[in-house]
Amino acid sequence: MRFLWASVRKDLDRVRRDPFSLATSLGIPLVLVTLVTLVFSGGQAAPQGRLLVADEDGTVLSQLLTGAFTREPLSKMFVMETAGREEGRRRMDRGDASALLIIPKGFQDAVFQNQPAQLQLVTNPSQSILPNIAEETISIMVEGGFYLQRLAAIPLRSIATGQPPSDATIAQVSIAFNQIGRSLAKYVNPPLIKLDLNVVAEKRENQNVAGVFMPAMLFMGLLFVANSYVLDIWKEHSWGTLRRLATTPVSLGAALGGRLISLALILCGVALVGVGGMRWFANVDVASVPLATIWLILSGMTFYLFLVAIALHASNQRAANVIGNLIVFPLALLGGSFFPFEMMPDWMARIGRFTPNGWAITVFKAFVAGSAHTKDLLIGAGWMAAVGSLLFLITVRRMRKFL
Amino acid sequence: MLEVEQLRKSYAELIAVESVSFAAQPGEIFGLLGPNGAGKTTTIGCICGLLTPSAGHVKVMGHDVVREGPAARANLGVVPQEIALYEDLSANENLAYWGGAQRMRNPKLRERIQEVLELTGLQDRAREPVKQFSGGMKRRLNFACSILHSPKVLLLDEPTVGVDPQSRVRLLDLVRAEARAGTCVLYTTHYMEEAEALCDRLAIMDHGKVIAAGTLPELRSMLAERDLLRLTGVFAPEAARTAMQRIDSVEILQGDESLLLLSLVGASQKLPAIFAVLAASGAEVRGTTLTQPSLESLFIKLTGKELRE
Repeated sequence: MRFLWASVRKDLDRVRRDPFSLATSLGIPLVLVTLVTLVFSGGQAAPQGRLLVADEDGTVLSQLLTGAFTREPLSKMFVMETAGREEGRRRMDRGDASALLIIPKGFQDAVFQNQPAQLQLVTNPSQSILPNIAEETISIMVEGGFYLQRLAAIPLRSIATGQPPSDATIAQVSIAFNQIGRSLAKYVNPPLIKLDLNVVAEKRENQNVAGVFMPAMLFMGLLFVANSYVLDIWKEHSWGTLRRLATTPVSLGAALGGRLISLALILCGVALVGVGGMRWFANVDVASVPLATIWLILSGMTFYLFLVAIALHASNQRAANVIGNLIVFPLALLGGSFFPFEMMPDWMARIGRFTPNGWAITVFKAFVAGSAHTKDLLIGAGWMAAVGSLLFLITVRRMRKFL
Repeated sequence: MLEVEQLRKSYAELIAVESVSFAAQPGEIFGLLGPNGAGKTTTIGCICGLLTPSAGHVKVMGHDVVREGPAARANLGVVPQEIALYEDLSANENLAYWGGAQRMRNPKLRERIQEVLELTGLQDRAREPVKQFSGGMKRRLNFACSILHSPKVLLLDEPTVGVDPQSRVRLLDLVRAEARAGTCVLYTTHYMEEAEALCDRLAIMDHGKVIAAGTLPELRSMLAERDLLRLTGVFAPEAARTAMQRIDSVEILQGDESLLLLSLVGASQKLPAIFAVLAASGAEVRGTTLTQPSLESLFIKLTGKELRE
């Protein structure tokens, strides 16, 4: 016990004397989460882009078409600006907007006269979500326009003469629309397609982009901290301190145990700041701060044992560094510790959840959401203790050969 | 105190150490002398438990280092060849850690830290990070960490490699002080003068074997007061050998195109005759070094090569 305490103190003193390594490990995920939050939300829930409209027609129909973007929910996603065709093109070339919609002159006439009409949508290839939303919205409206043209071409044509309609024309058009409405009533009322809505989770009012990204970034931080701690054992090897330790009465297992305890204390600080940050700064409704914190600590310790067991099989420090990065980065990317599973294609998210960090982050989110409890923590901790013990034994055995 | 008996260490087909036996007593400084690769560090590794012997036994204070490892190591202090310290920690912090590794407890540990800091002259720098220390200071702290728990047996593996002369003298004084206090010291080096100045008894190692052992006078007597004459220049090896046969009691230890090493009695009187026969054989002597009987000449006599090779 005396040595365990000396070992923990030594490791913590070393971190205190050189906090830069730890700060770097934590700084990268922190910078990433800040940037991602700023880019995607600026503090709001949904991303926002710019839609340029070159309305060369300037008619009721063209205004109806673009009117959808001035109402919620699209108005929250898009800031609509009018622009000339050429100016719009130039701004798109500069990447100044998500999409440019060109409504050519004669669009309304063509629709009402049952003639072919063409809208042009130019999208920004460097963006994926917003241009797609714009494209889908306009497609739906064009489709709606097509059916309107089919069903009400004659009354529409009578309106689209360019002259103010007479009372007789208005009465005639009203009767025509009434007849169309009645003919559609058997399909519309009651509707043939029924929307069956199932609420699978309580809507979380405070959920935001930071809330989606922060668990991922916390686990990325854990992986980075664990990996930098792993490399420290190689430094000790090169300094000769491990060899010297092997000439003392204490066991290498005690040294590794001390290292694990010091790592746990560091992770405790990291986890408390991370989970506290989620709850009080990012407004994520964390159901259980203690359970989430303990889970983070246990996960970080297991990652460390996993990485150190592998790193000690490397031929030198440089190779250990390369191997560590080759493991940590793909694990972070695939295991939901860089991009959240919510942003991944389904097939990738399914695979990612089977990675060690993917499993850990899924359980962590359950602790945050409140769908996992103390019993789940104990079961998970049991698994980690079993795997960790095995890795511990492998590591100690390898350390003896490693000297 | 320290007993090494028929020690053997092999790696597959490579035999690093073979049939090494010696014993060192309390208060004695026992030297292991040999060139790089002679097997000194392997022997030390087997004694301190870093390596498992392939055969033979090592006992520290009666404890077998394999079967009773922790008990044996509790009596050992090891000063490694490298400076095995945490350079980002202070001298105090390093000593506290290595004291913990020797299972020392406060307040005894605190007292002992002060003692060794004073002994090594580092008390004024105790709170500074080791990375700010000079090479000599780091060596002294390296030593201090090993004697903190007052070991019964102290192993020093070439502790003065790369150390400036002043720090070397200070370090050797510290080793002598430990021996005077009753510690059994095993000291490995490839510096002849260091071994001659420090060690009470010596074992000379080469190719993993002890080729000679004894006190300094015993080892010197093996040379029978013969001088070592080192000639450099241009030689025809066979002609030079034939020429040397004309001089009484000259033994050629080594001879090639550029070097001739001779062992002989009364070398200074025989120098003119040696130069004459060599000139007659067509040799051109450009340099001459005459060495009185020493460990170096003994080593050359035993191995046919110089220690620095």
